[in-house]
Amino acid sequence: MREPRDPKELLEAAADDDQTAWDELETRFGPRMWAVARACGLNETDAADAVQGAWLRLLEHLHTIRDPAGVGAWLATTTRREAMLISRKDLTFAPRFDLVREPDPAAAVLEADSSRLLWKTVSSLDEPCRTLLQLVAADVGYQQVALRLGVPIGSVGPTRTRCLEKLRTLISLQETVQ
Amino acid sequence: MINEDYFLAALRLAAGNDPIPGHVSAAARDAYGLRVPQAVTAAPAELPVSAEVRGSDGCHMVRFVASGLTFDLEVTVGDGLIDVAGQVIPPPGEGSHVDVRTPHLTLTRRLPATGQFAATGLPPGWLSVVCHRPGHAPVQTRWVRIRP
Repeated sequence: MREPRDPKELLEAAADDDQTAWDELETRFGPRMWAVARACGLNETDAADAVQGAWLRLLEHLHTIRDPAGVGAWLATTTRREAMLISRKDLTFAPRFDLVREPDPAAAVLEADSSRLLWKTVSSLDEPCRTLLQLVAADVGYQQVALRLGVPIGSVGPTRTRCLEKLRTLISLQETVQ
Repeated sequence: MINEDYFLAALRLAAGNDPIPGHVSAAARDAYGLRVPQAVTAAPAELPVSAEVRGSDGCHMVRFVASGLTFDLEVTVGDGLIDVAGQVIPPPGEGSHVDVRTPHLTLTRRLPATGQFAATGLPPGWLSVVCHRPGHAPVQTRWVRIRP
């Protein structure tokens, strides 16, 4: 069986008329793009539009992506950009924006095959962050989170921000060590 | 802003809930069939202030420009479908045509001497227009999302 191709190879093959390479890109990055769109608060229809929009942008730039190896991060960033435009409805018809050329560093969290690492890091957090992030990942609403943690509902948002900041710091440290 | 969105997305992805729906994956794969080899992409451009008005009747104007060609599109959203009336300026001449495209449907219109064209009853979502001229590379507008 053939070795899996890396993102750079896939992008170059897709630019060279290879549908299977495009399909592999979708298999590899589609789920993350969906997760990005949903994390931006979009419903299913709008999230589907954001993901589709990012793929269409990739078609427009098949030959001009500056860092082909970073196509996964490019797709995640572009999905987020489309999602933000969609959520600000007044701008969805005025697509005058410069495409992000440098991938957002935070997109690396989605870029790497890092699910295991991410969960390990979440598990290493102190309470209430550990439970809170597990609940957030399961899409449990703020009210339920407040109930489970025994805290006022008004504190869930700020706590979530603090916990995500801690998580980000830990992930950054691990990446530095690697 | 600490890019919470990415971390939330990563957490949800890792949790394995809310997987990407099959139709979204299928649409992404089908999108590959929409590429136009050698095409030049026309970028959105400023409209004259007088034209840049979103009418109460759900009508939008948008302009795209590339390599000496301007696309003026007037898009109307009504009854859940999209109508496009457009003009390619300067008129590209005999033998030219435009493809008015959505991911699911492409309507082809031969361009008359005025460069004007119209396409009706398109599904809402992403839209692009491609102009084909004899002896020139095709020019495609960037994809634009249109929903009621």
